[in-house]
Amino acid sequence: MAEFSKQLERLEAIVRKLESEDLDLDEALKLFEEGVERLRVAREQLAQAELKVKKVLEIESPS
Amino acid sequence: MVQPLDLFAAASAEGAWTVSEVTKRAKSVVEAGLPPLWVRGEITGFKAWRSGHWYFSLRDKSSQIRCVMFAKQNFRLPAPTDGSQVFVFARPSMYEEKGEFQLTVMELLSTEQGGLWKLAFEKAKAALTKDGLLDPARKRRLPLFPNRIAVVTSPDGAVLRDIQAVVARRWPVAELIVVPAQVQGVKAEASVCSALNRIRRLPVDVLIVARGGGSVEDLWAFNTERVARAVAAMPMPVISAIGHETDVTLCDLVADLRAPTPSAAAEAATPDRKDVMLQCGAIEQRLAKALKTASRHVVERLDRAGDRLTRCMEHRLEKSGALLTAHSARLDALSPLKVLGRGYAVVRDENGTILKRVAQLPSGKEIRLRVTDGEVHGRIQ
Repeated sequence: MAEFSKQLERLEAIVRKLESEDLDLDEALKLFEEGVERLRVAREQLAQAELKVKKVLEIESPS
Repeated sequence: MVQPLDLFAAASAEGAWTVSEVTKRAKSVVEAGLPPLWVRGEITGFKAWRSGHWYFSLRDKSSQIRCVMFAKQNFRLPAPTDGSQVFVFARPSMYEEKGEFQLTVMELLSTEQGGLWKLAFEKAKAALTKDGLLDPARKRRLPLFPNRIAVVTSPDGAVLRDIQAVVARRWPVAELIVVPAQVQGVKAEASVCSALNRIRRLPVDVLIVARGGGSVEDLWAFNTERVARAVAAMPMPVISAIGHETDVTLCDLVADLRAPTPSAAAEAATPDRKDVMLQCGAIEQRLAKALKTASRHVVERLDRAGDRLTRCMEHRLEKSGALLTAHSARLDALSPLKVLGRGYAVVRDENGTILKRVAQLPSGKEIRLRVTDGEVHGRIQ
């Protein structure tokens, strides 16, 4: 799964591009669809209930 | 239990004691006769051995006593320096191998303000400052949406439970990587450093170093220069939460953020997913609005293009019309009738050939003159 921060960065970029540029309708639609899909994935990640905890065993201190 | 020295036993050379017998006897006399006691004096000739044991002398104006403080007694203490005024709680004894009277020190307190702890803290802090490690400009920003959060703390304490609970509630998107370490005792310094060293190589976005409250001795590992330097050298931002809010350790000072409690550290390390959900909602609205705007732009552009096309054609037609008028005006100006109107006449012979030269007009030549309103016949005289 993509890192959440990257997901959000891309979403921001999509929105900014859509907002600021004169795009072909085709291109605008493509960006919109990508944005909607990324939002769906991001929301799924957020809804995930379980925190993953990993324990890294300590190596013997090199004293 | 205490046997008085048998002064008569060595009255003659035949009954001489061995050296070992004397020192052994002296040791038992000293240890039996002098209970553990507090002694005050100035430290001189201080030396810390690789074994961790400390050797020094205590002196006042006229005397001095050899002292030893073993590693298991001194591990919590910062090393004193020569000239420090101290109190020691010590057991008087004999060092038999050298026949020396000595104190086996069990506790050592500095009489100077704040004690040895303060001195050692200030010394380490000065060293860190000198290397720029406490410079506020070094503080890095924490990641907004961390993917991996590492925690260095005691593996089975309330501290880890608190951190885990906060991260699970706020940001379960992340993975929590727990690297257990001994956070107090003689091995704490090395253990914390080794845990930090493990994390250096892991793809971690933010690190929390945490420990619950305790005495100044309990927290000491986090006041050592070695741990502070290891924290400063971490490649990712570090949040430090050591002891209670009132305890400020060197680890806190070099970290990118100091949190008052382990829970607060976990909060600082994570966004709240409820807020992020709202943020996603806002993005969705912007997306929809932007698409609407983008499609409206397209329609507007089509309209504009149509308008321009029309204007273009109109312009062209207008231009053509004007050209036509100009041309006909010129044509009109060039018309021979117009020239005749200005008083000129065309001379032709009876066949209609135009006569332009004197040679074509000999005397008696029949001519026809075309003037503006008609033709007349005549003859050259």
